[in-house]
Amino acid sequence: MFPGVSGFEWSVAHVIFLGAFFTVLVVILASLTAAAIRYLRAWRERRAAAIRWHAEFEELPPAERLCRHALTGTAPGRLCERGFDCRTCAEHPAFAAREAQGLVAVPNGIDHSPDRFYHRGHAWVEPQADGTVLVGMDELAERLAGPAATVELPPPGAVLDTHSIAWQVQREGAVARVLAPIAGRVEETGSREQGWLLRIRPEGKLDLRHLLHGPEVAAWFQSELERLQGLLAPAAVGPTLADGGLLVDDLPTAQPEADWDHIYSAMFLRP
Amino acid sequence: MADMAVSRFPEPAVLDKGWIPRGVSRCSTAQFLGWLSPWVALLLLGLYAGWMCLRDGLYHTNMDHRFVFGLWIFLDLAIIALGAGAFFSGFLFYILRWHEMGAVIRSAVVLGFLCYSGAVVVLMVDVGQPLRAWFTFWHPNTHSMLAEVTFCITCYLIVLSIEYLPLVLKNRKLSQIPSFLVFEFQLHKVMPVLAGVGTFLSFFHQGSLGGLFGVMYGRPFAYREGFGIWPATFFLFILSAIAAGPAFLMLTTWLTEKISGHRLVRGSVYRLMARTSGVLLTAYVFFKCVDTVIWLNSTSQQAGFRPWEFYAWAPFGSWVLFLEIVVLGLLPALILLRASEEGPRRWLLCGAALACAGIVVNRLVFTIQTLALPTLPFDEFRTYLPNWVEVATFLGVVAYAVIVYSLSFRYLTLFPQEKELARATARGPQQEEIHVSGR
Repeated sequence: MFPGVSGFEWSVAHVIFLGAFFTVLVVILASLTAAAIRYLRAWRERRAAAIRWHAEFEELPPAERLCRHALTGTAPGRLCERGFDCRTCAEHPAFAAREAQGLVAVPNGIDHSPDRFYHRGHAWVEPQADGTVLVGMDELAERLAGPAATVELPPPGAVLDTHSIAWQVQREGAVARVLAPIAGRVEETGSREQGWLLRIRPEGKLDLRHLLHGPEVAAWFQSELERLQGLLAPAAVGPTLADGGLLVDDLPTAQPEADWDHIYSAMFLRP
Repeated sequence: MADMAVSRFPEPAVLDKGWIPRGVSRCSTAQFLGWLSPWVALLLLGLYAGWMCLRDGLYHTNMDHRFVFGLWIFLDLAIIALGAGAFFSGFLFYILRWHEMGAVIRSAVVLGFLCYSGAVVVLMVDVGQPLRAWFTFWHPNTHSMLAEVTFCITCYLIVLSIEYLPLVLKNRKLSQIPSFLVFEFQLHKVMPVLAGVGTFLSFFHQGSLGGLFGVMYGRPFAYREGFGIWPATFFLFILSAIAAGPAFLMLTTWLTEKISGHRLVRGSVYRLMARTSGVLLTAYVFFKCVDTVIWLNSTSQQAGFRPWEFYAWAPFGSWVLFLEIVVLGLLPALILLRASEEGPRRWLLCGAALACAGIVVNRLVFTIQTLALPTLPFDEFRTYLPNWVEVATFLGVVAYAVIVYSLSFRYLTLFPQEKELARATARGPQQEEIHVSGR
């Protein structure tokens, strides 16, 4: 008796037909089981944040996935395939070595500190002498949020993974979720007035190779400003030339009609 | 002026904005509900008609012992063929790695799911006794091609449901739940396996749907010789389905663009689908011609029929054959091949519409015309027209498909290029072209 079928006979037709049918069923069940086992394993190993970032990175349009070396002009048009994690990129050291020789920062109206390392999701990291790092929102993010925005920080003791959601910024219904630039445990929370938001004890040895630093930060900010200008331009107006003016402190108040939910998702890399 | 208009007549609220993917715009909630309401009414009518048949039997319909295959089976065959875009797109994307198909693969999965689930629902009403549906698996007639069709369609519907699930879990709100996102990610990893299974299943059930007509020795109009146990119609149904699948995908994508007012895929994707459909349709027309010549000159004559006898009964004259092979076969094949190289999009869509119509006419010929023609000396030619119950049941299925597709389009990311195209459009036509050509 073939499992589950009444009247089965050992004939060629029965064996081929039911054999193929049950093989298909087994393959479907095996695929689902494999997915379920991987799901449980990922859940146990706390890889949810990494998976979220991987999935969301895949959804980002090409303009938001440009390699850091494309922004500086060293590798024009190159797209990142590694979720902005240059620590695993084989080509990154060679590009970085070439840039170290002659890259010059170009002023762009956004203040940034040479001591800080910048994440592509507009958070910065500043190493401290005691082994911890301070983390905050960069100048552009501050202006995108505006002074009236409320910030929801994780409590001390919370463990963050790189690219997991570190904190939320809310402004009149629009929510920006800012990604954690490094992995570690939150030791202390600050405030926008203090100039930093989190003090984090990094996991293991501090490795900041995936973050932007030095003259490349200016090139990245320049590209981000252009991207923001494109997002803020009303569709009816079409392309406009940059006016060279200074960015206002409170962009949501200056342009209340803009789709801030969409702008936050694009600028903070949350598709 | 535009700003003044906006301030005087503020845009209606999108109350469900939190569920809509970021970076895309959708109509207001009120407009969306307005769009859905006639379809819901049609669905309710279809449910009522279907319930009548399930409760009282098929005497409510115009089907009888002669016309056991009526409107439902004819349209089932047609939508299953048109839904082949799902498995064929999956095959091109996951197995052959045609990355351009990624722009429409999600929509293809939803369309496939709707076509197959709709067909299964109609079959359930047609066969009746849905509570005994499991009999077909417990007591399969392994010598019937219909058994293969039933098994394959059931399995493929399971595969399509599994393929649809990650799209739902990727919804903006649902993906906030970490466990959903992780499960979706892991499901996505097994998609190539499921795409392979889907291709295998579809290949056989599309073929068997054709095969079940081709083996009907008592119906010389449909009977065909072939290879081994498979009549020629087995292969022709597969070829016609994979030719029509991309064409139907083009049409539905274009229709969604028109109704929503947004560009959803790049022109290059349309051209790729048109070229694929055109090449396959050309091959289909060639083999269909060979099959028709053999059938007219050999197969039917061995059964004691002269070729013109099949076409002596109005309204099924020889014009049907001409319409099927030339007007809705060769012509769209040439249009699709030509327009995929150059020319305006309307020619592509015209070719796609003709190709889809050709498949529908082919399935009509095999179901309705086959049964209408007399085969024995005491037989007479009989025509069949569906009554309102049959039409309403099927329109109910169409309404179900429109509703689910509309909800999917509103709340899921069916077209990954939409967001990028919206931004490019906002930047202006010139920059859009630069951006698109740079890809």
